Amino acid sequence: MSPYVFTLLIFNLGLGTTMTFASSHWLLAWMGLEINTLAIIPLMTRQHHPRAVEATTKYFLTQATAAALILFASTSNAWLTGEWAINQMSHPLATSTIMLALALKLGLAPVHFWMPEVIQGLDLTTGLVLSTWQKLAPFALLLQVSSTVNPLILTLIGLLSTLIGGWGGLNQTQLRKILAYSSIAHLGWMVLIIQFSPPLATLSLLIYIIMTTSAFLTFKLTSSTTMNALATSWTKSPMMTSLATLILLSLAGLPPLTGFMPKWLILQELVKQDLPMLAFFAAMTALLSLYFYLRLCYTVALTSSPNTITMLTPWRLNPTQTSPLNPLTTMLTLALLPLTPAILALVIY
Amino acid sequence: MTPVHFSFTAAFTLGLMGLAFHRTHLLSALICLEGMMLSLFIALSLWTLQLEATAFSTAPMLLLAFSACEASAGLALLVATARTHGTDRLQNLNLLQC
Repeated sequence: MSPYVFTLLIFNLGLGTTMTFASSHWLLAWMGLEINTLAIIPLMTRQHHPRAVEATTKYFLTQATAAALILFASTSNAWLTGEWAINQMSHPLATSTIMLALALKLGLAPVHFWMPEVIQGLDLTTGLVLSTWQKLAPFALLLQVSSTVNPLILTLIGLLSTLIGGWGGLNQTQLRKILAYSSIAHLGWMVLIIQFSPPLATLSLLIYIIMTTSAFLTFKLTSSTTMNALATSWTKSPMMTSLATLILLSLAGLPPLTGFMPKWLILQELVKQDLPMLAFFAAMTALLSLYFYLRLCYTVALTSSPNTITMLTPWRLNPTQTSPLNPLTTMLTLALLPLTPAILALVIY
Repeated sequence: MTPVHFSFTAAFTLGLMGLAFHRTHLLSALICLEGMMLSLFIALSLWTLQLEATAFSTAPMLLLAFSACEASAGLALLVATARTHGTDRLQNLNLLQC
């Protein structure tokens, strides 16, 4: 792809998200979301592979539907109450429709079905952008409307997402599908807490973005997209493979790694809001995801697979696709938990 | 719900159902998407009459510009699908299933 076109598309990705962040009128927010969708479509079809084109078509259809639904709900709200401001949405029909539309944009259950297939069809870098940057703009809108949405819908969507994110990832061997289901589960946790403590949901999103970035970049470094490829990745880069074990356990939310921080704080906030059963069910669904993360850790570092000798001793050349972001995000994924009191003081209070 | 509100809601819902339950061709999904955008264009155009002021009268043009860009992106993807998969039938989009 021409570097000028590539730069323009990256710039438009930033522009779309910034427009949605900066807007208080629904039309401007919708325009930012559309710019985001239009900018990422050519990036997804950089290689004209049938899988990439199919993933792009499915992504385009779902995102266009969600954007149209957002605009329809805000127009209905305007006809019924006269308000176009994002944080003044009050009619229950409009807020429920907006919640479903934002769930479709973000890939939350029960409208998550496009997510594993789309991320599977893309290369790891574009999948990373889809899992991290494209979640920011809809999440900003979700933060603003969450105070007026029916709490039952938020809780149902959150719990269903954590359940399906854990359950759906159990039968997968492709890493990109596993990361897609992990995205569904993590976003479910964020939606659970967004009605009680929006800063905590934002913190959870930030930590999820850091963990997912390090996971995607580690898989990109070892060029592994399936579990079988992970099994022999220790020959390419033993250090990154041992860190990959810890990154996966951090995604699972095990202490003393960073991934424990959002789960811990969310469970604490749910119990403070007198919802211990909800906290219990959410924690139980996290066990499902723990299973497939742990299985990945087994294949990566804890067992040795019965491969032939020639596959086990490749030339250890310097990797060509290093990213400067990889060490930073890996470090943050592993070591941020002791800073929880400081982060709480800065974010919550 | 005023008659105008009902009519564009019904038009949008019909387009949405057509998009959600598309059965054979990708092109029919794109056409339903365009129908949804058209109903929203009519809604925004009539909003100026509702306000009885010209405050928001450029909004339909903005929506039209963006939905035209989106439609062209959709058609480009239709052409790309036809080139890689050979047809636009939706049962051929089955490379990525679990």
